[in-house]
Amino acid sequence: MIENNFNRRDFLKVLGWGGAAVTLSGCGFTSVQDGTETVVSYVEPTEYALPGIGVYFNSTCAQCDAGCSITGRVREGRALKLEGNAASSINRGKMCGLGQAGVQAHYNPDRLREPMFKGQPVAWDKALGLIDEKVKTLKGDDVAFLTGGMSGHVKVLFKNYMDALGSKNHYVYEAVSPSVVRAANKKAYGVEAPRLRLDKAKAVVSFGADFLGAWVSPVHFSQQYAQFRKGNRPEGRGVLVQIEPKMTLTGANADRWIPLRPGTDGVLALGIIHALAKNGLSVPADVAAAVKDYAPERVSQETGVSVEQIGKLAALLKTHTPSLVLAGDAAEGYQHGSQNAAAIALLNRVLGNVGKTIEAPANVPFPQIAAQGGNRAALQALNGKLASGKVQMLFVHGANPVYTAPLSLKFKENLNKATFKVVFAHYMDETALQADLVLPLDSALEDWATAVPEYLPEGAQLNVQQPLMEKLHAGTRGTGDILLALLKQRRANEYGKFDDFYAYLRNAVVSIKGALGGGGKDEDTFWAETLSEGLVKLPGSGGNLSSKASAAGLHFPAVVEDAAYPLRLIPSVTANMRDGRNANQPWLQESPDPLTTIVWDSWVEIHPKTAAKLGIVEGDIVEVASKSGSIKAQAYLFPGIHPDAVSVPLGYGHEAMGRYAKGVGANAFAMLDAVSDQETGELAMNETRVKIGKTGQRIIVIKEEGVAGGKQAGKKIAARLASDKVDLSKEV
Amino acid sequence: MSVSNLLENWSKVRHTHPVGDVPHEEYKWAMAIDLDACTGCNACSVACYAENNIAVVGKEKYAHGQAMHWMRIERYWDEDEREFPDQGAQFLPMMCQQCEAAPCETVCPVGATNHTADGLNSQVYNRCVGSRYCSANCPFKVRYFNWWDYPDQENAWPDEMKQQLNPDVTVRTKGVMEKCTFCVQRLTAAKNMARNEGRLVKDGEVQTACQQACPTNAISFGNLVDAESRVHKQWKQQQVELAEDAQAKDEYFTDLRGYRILEDLRAYPSVMYLERVRESAI
Amino acid sequence: MGKDIREDISWAKINEDVLRSLESPRRLYWVILLVAMLAFSVGIGCEVYQYNVGMGVANLDNPHVWGLYIATFIFWIGMSHSGTLLSAILHLMHADWRKPIYRFAEAMTTFSLMTAGLFVMVHLGRLWQFYYSLPYPNERALWPNFQSPLLWDAMAIFTYLSSSVIFLFIGMIPDLAICRDHLHPGWRKKLYTLLALGWEGTDRQWRNFRITYLTVACFLIPLAVSVHSIVASDFAMSQQPGWHVTSFPPYFVAGALYSGCAAIVTLFIILRYVFKFEEYMTLPILKKTVRLTFAIAMVWTYLNAVEFAAVWYSHDQAAKDVLIQKATGPYAPFWWMMIFCGSVVPLTLAFKRFQTNIPVLFAVSLLLNLGMWLERWMIVAPTFSHGYYPWTWDHNQWPSLIQWGMVFGSFGWFALLFMVFCKVFPSVSMYEVKEMVYHRRLASESQAAAKGAH
Repeated sequence: MIENNFNRRDFLKVLGWGGAAVTLSGCGFTSVQDGTETVVSYVEPTEYALPGIGVYFNSTCAQCDAGCSITGRVREGRALKLEGNAASSINRGKMCGLGQAGVQAHYNPDRLREPMFKGQPVAWDKALGLIDEKVKTLKGDDVAFLTGGMSGHVKVLFKNYMDALGSKNHYVYEAVSPSVVRAANKKAYGVEAPRLRLDKAKAVVSFGADFLGAWVSPVHFSQQYAQFRKGNRPEGRGVLVQIEPKMTLTGANADRWIPLRPGTDGVLALGIIHALAKNGLSVPADVAAAVKDYAPERVSQETGVSVEQIGKLAALLKTHTPSLVLAGDAAEGYQHGSQNAAAIALLNRVLGNVGKTIEAPANVPFPQIAAQGGNRAALQALNGKLASGKVQMLFVHGANPVYTAPLSLKFKENLNKATFKVVFAHYMDETALQADLVLPLDSALEDWATAVPEYLPEGAQLNVQQPLMEKLHAGTRGTGDILLALLKQRRANEYGKFDDFYAYLRNAVVSIKGALGGGGKDEDTFWAETLSEGLVKLPGSGGNLSSKASAAGLHFPAVVEDAAYPLRLIPSVTANMRDGRNANQPWLQESPDPLTTIVWDSWVEIHPKTAAKLGIVEGDIVEVASKSGSIKAQAYLFPGIHPDAVSVPLGYGHEAMGRYAKGVGANAFAMLDAVSDQETGELAMNETRVKIGKTGQRIIVIKEEGVAGGKQAGKKIAARLASDKVDLSKEV
Repeated sequence: MSVSNLLENWSKVRHTHPVGDVPHEEYKWAMAIDLDACTGCNACSVACYAENNIAVVGKEKYAHGQAMHWMRIERYWDEDEREFPDQGAQFLPMMCQQCEAAPCETVCPVGATNHTADGLNSQVYNRCVGSRYCSANCPFKVRYFNWWDYPDQENAWPDEMKQQLNPDVTVRTKGVMEKCTFCVQRLTAAKNMARNEGRLVKDGEVQTACQQACPTNAISFGNLVDAESRVHKQWKQQQVELAEDAQAKDEYFTDLRGYRILEDLRAYPSVMYLERVRESAI
Repeated sequence: MGKDIREDISWAKINEDVLRSLESPRRLYWVILLVAMLAFSVGIGCEVYQYNVGMGVANLDNPHVWGLYIATFIFWIGMSHSGTLLSAILHLMHADWRKPIYRFAEAMTTFSLMTAGLFVMVHLGRLWQFYYSLPYPNERALWPNFQSPLLWDAMAIFTYLSSSVIFLFIGMIPDLAICRDHLHPGWRKKLYTLLALGWEGTDRQWRNFRITYLTVACFLIPLAVSVHSIVASDFAMSQQPGWHVTSFPPYFVAGALYSGCAAIVTLFIILRYVFKFEEYMTLPILKKTVRLTFAIAMVWTYLNAVEFAAVWYSHDQAAKDVLIQKATGPYAPFWWMMIFCGSVVPLTLAFKRFQTNIPVLFAVSLLLNLGMWLERWMIVAPTFSHGYYPWTWDHNQWPSLIQWGMVFGSFGWFALLFMVFCKVFPSVSMYEVKEMVYHRRLASESQAAAKGAH
């Protein structure tokens, strides 16, 4: 960084000028005098706080699970801005808007500041004592843990604490996660998260994987996408086809966006294999037999994709090898979601992409710190257990199930059957409100942790999350510190030697420095380098990948229409809001949704044709009702959606959590029907059927888009060229 | 103060178009944005909020069109009335184009917006009286006026969030105009650093916040005078001339995709866009 | 048709009648004054609120940065042209019918300029720094931007204002002396003594007075034309579609004269009644004013047509779009109302029987001014809502009550100043009426003599 190169002469110069500035501002009634600002001593500066000079510390972004490495700029002891850390193979110095807003999670005015017991503030000793007392009275099996996806040393401590309690009830829950695809990958390739090489592919066909927006590791995929689109790479400019009923950000960037009938992804995948076989691609006999019924005419009829388009797709995939076919949220969110994902994996196998654009991920040498991705089935399992009254005590960390659970699960009622609920929280969110004991956490910019991302684009790496600045609020504690304190209650002899989580972490990392590639260094150097880098690249072998996607057992039920609920609800995962955990960050609320450009509210995307049929115009407040619930939100006429579907973004409609989140929009999670994928038991996100009614109210939609509505009025503003009209090979 | 000084140096006070007979000397900051790489993800815009102390205005004021996003992402659809936008949307990051002959500069009654020697269109908050003439005359409407006293608005920066404010960037009070500065605070720091070392700023040494964040590297920024800079090479390769209001290459068929928006208005923008490419065969 | 000024009216009677206006107007005067003060305080309240809270209360937004303030500013600037037209231009053209009415027209000029100036102020985002736009000496050698039409504007308005105050004052000196000589001792007498500058009506004084008055009149005419041309330049010199029109300066000047004349008709009718000036502000004078108004209305209509035609036959698509937007978009009702009030309503003035019908004229003159106010609004607003850059098109912007309140308040402010003026200073020029009567008598006597000679 520029400002790090800093010699004594510069320092004195800054000191001189800074001193003069302080003298000047010291005259008269200043904010220093009235106590709203403090004078910084230039004589005895705090360590690492050079007045007027920004210093940079590396850490890890905690806004989502992708595990991007960040570099935080700190001035006068305050973290100001986050940048990407170029050393990380995940984000290579880049960042998304969600990550940028990490500082707003840290400085958020609505953060919890002290532990709360039954709504009353309570001291930490007392709070931890309460847990101690309670767990002593319980059997291990009575205690359950609901956490978000986790990895690194915090995960180790969680596991150890569970062991100490004798509890095996760990539910790892993520409301939006590619869990069905994960399972399908495991079946097809032997690994859950194979490396996807968009940068090597000549064509990418994505069945609803919004890899540029909110899917798995968007910053990484965006970088790969940029490579993929470069006209001057040896493979030439890549072609992207996105197939999904509701246009995602990725769909908006595709060369061809194909709206297919919701849920028919697998049929189309098999149809493409059929067409490929017709076009002369050699297809294994078992596959050929399995797809023989999927002639283009039938597929076209079922999926709504024209025969001509299927032919074009097949032709594209035939000529553009290697290619890459992805299965995403739009494909997996059905009762037969696993089937869809399997059919898509089969297409990859037929195209010979496995091993070329789908590669084996690196093995993480220490499985105890490897990522454990969350899924939705965990919540359903926990819910069942809660309902049966088998859970006495519940710990919740990194999840807000009261908000994200569909009402049809009756999770909130079941939750209250547990007698003691401990929630680790940053905000007083919906789940924290139901808790007996709320433990306020340090922000990600104050806390120590390590993380191993679930999706590893290159070798395995251990990310270090370190504090960028002192704690803002004295009453918050780091997750690691809390767990350590709890472990000390149970296993004092094992953990008593660690003053705090930092000591534990340092010891844990340094003690395996040999395995981490720091064998020749002394402990202090190795630790200092680790912190300075913000990550450690783990040595380790590449894993193995099998290509065993099979056509056996693929079966797609006919789409059953429901006259009472004629439309399909596609809850959309947007890059800003995702599952709603960052909803209290105003930059994200004010950052327009890329496609609708709406801010500060939910909306219902309806195809103009459907809207015309229902007499709905933009801004009508409509009621979207499923069998399980209903929401009211503004209608937005959106051409990028299948006429048989409507879409509502997730993440809005908080009833608590803070001033920027509360009451903004409507919660689409609440109205989901409790239908699951038949193989994995994952909640099928796209299976909810809805009807739409006008409420008679109409508002002006608050959005960035003006009255011109995305038209350029004949001017050359956002221009576009066809690929055959441009020569990209000589570009810089 | 002397009138004679003013009269003698008038031509320097305003070189309407400093590229022709009086070329840029050391620096001319410019940008190139590749619309084929831009995915419309908004990371640049949020990064800009973080770097430049831009106020969050909240729902009600956003509804009144008083949003302050210096960098806004525009989303366009095809206009051929197809049932589905099956070739996707068009995204366009739009911010101050730092025009060489900026329409905003000539009309400001107090000279609060000026052209700097390194080719920026600067905005002097202290000098601004808030006539808003600059915005009225801006073809791109990328100037944002402080309709309210945002530092005092609960939405923008409650006490805790004030600590996030970048001390290198002024927090604007009510009644002044603001806009994208090409992160002038970073440019100044980099130039000072280079000058102390007796050299010019090297390409890549300084990045704007949007460029730094952009996950697809769609934005390149640098010194157009420096023949080694990426942005210079891009402009050159695309045959886009800063000092022209119509590019010679557009007169015959070319397979190049560089263009500037509303170029014929002769504002000479410093931002070149590269057209989005869409596969013709699929 | 009413009678013209009697030729046999005695000079003492003239003095007596006019001076009476300084003493005892009709009760309506006080009603008007009260209403004006109320309206003005509404305006003040709005400004205090806006000053404290921020310009946002005006409900302007980022593409749409100008609103009623600028529109009303142009309206008042336009209004100011009538005084100069009547007092200076017609003076040079020896149209003696102007004499009983030019004084109040001249006062109108001054006060409407002062009102217009206020709008420049309330429009500024940082009113407290308005002096940055003036070329005042300062240690940092910071000048305003001499390229900016807004700066020319500031200078032109100040020049025009100071010149018209001087013109108004000079033209009043002989009358002030009459006031001085006829009034009872008191503050007024002191005021008139001071302002009359020791006028005694000597030949030398009259000669100097005539020359000075003529000189200032000659000086004022180009100023009047330039000031509105410069206001037009605010728009014409910009690059925006709908504004970047070469014919704007003459178009603006014509519009200015038009609205000024209409306002004179309105005020003529009010003053005539309130101050019982029926004897001096006679219907034949009104008729001439009305005919003048009609003529200018037709000129304005023509120039309007020229502007549309120029836009229509140009290849400037953006400007065409703005014009289409004006006629069909959300501003269409106002735009068509402007056409109706500005071009159709004045046709009534072509009919003789309406030319002296006071109720009709009063209504028509108000409609004409409404039309002219709308014209200014239709120049300012639609360009913002439908400019070069489609993404920022904004058709929903509507001025807030604060803006309307200030527009309303400005009429109060103007009426207040004007009504106070008419009560403190003679609003009919006594010496010029005497001159006029004298000249007419001479003329008719010489006519009679010529007849008798046959």
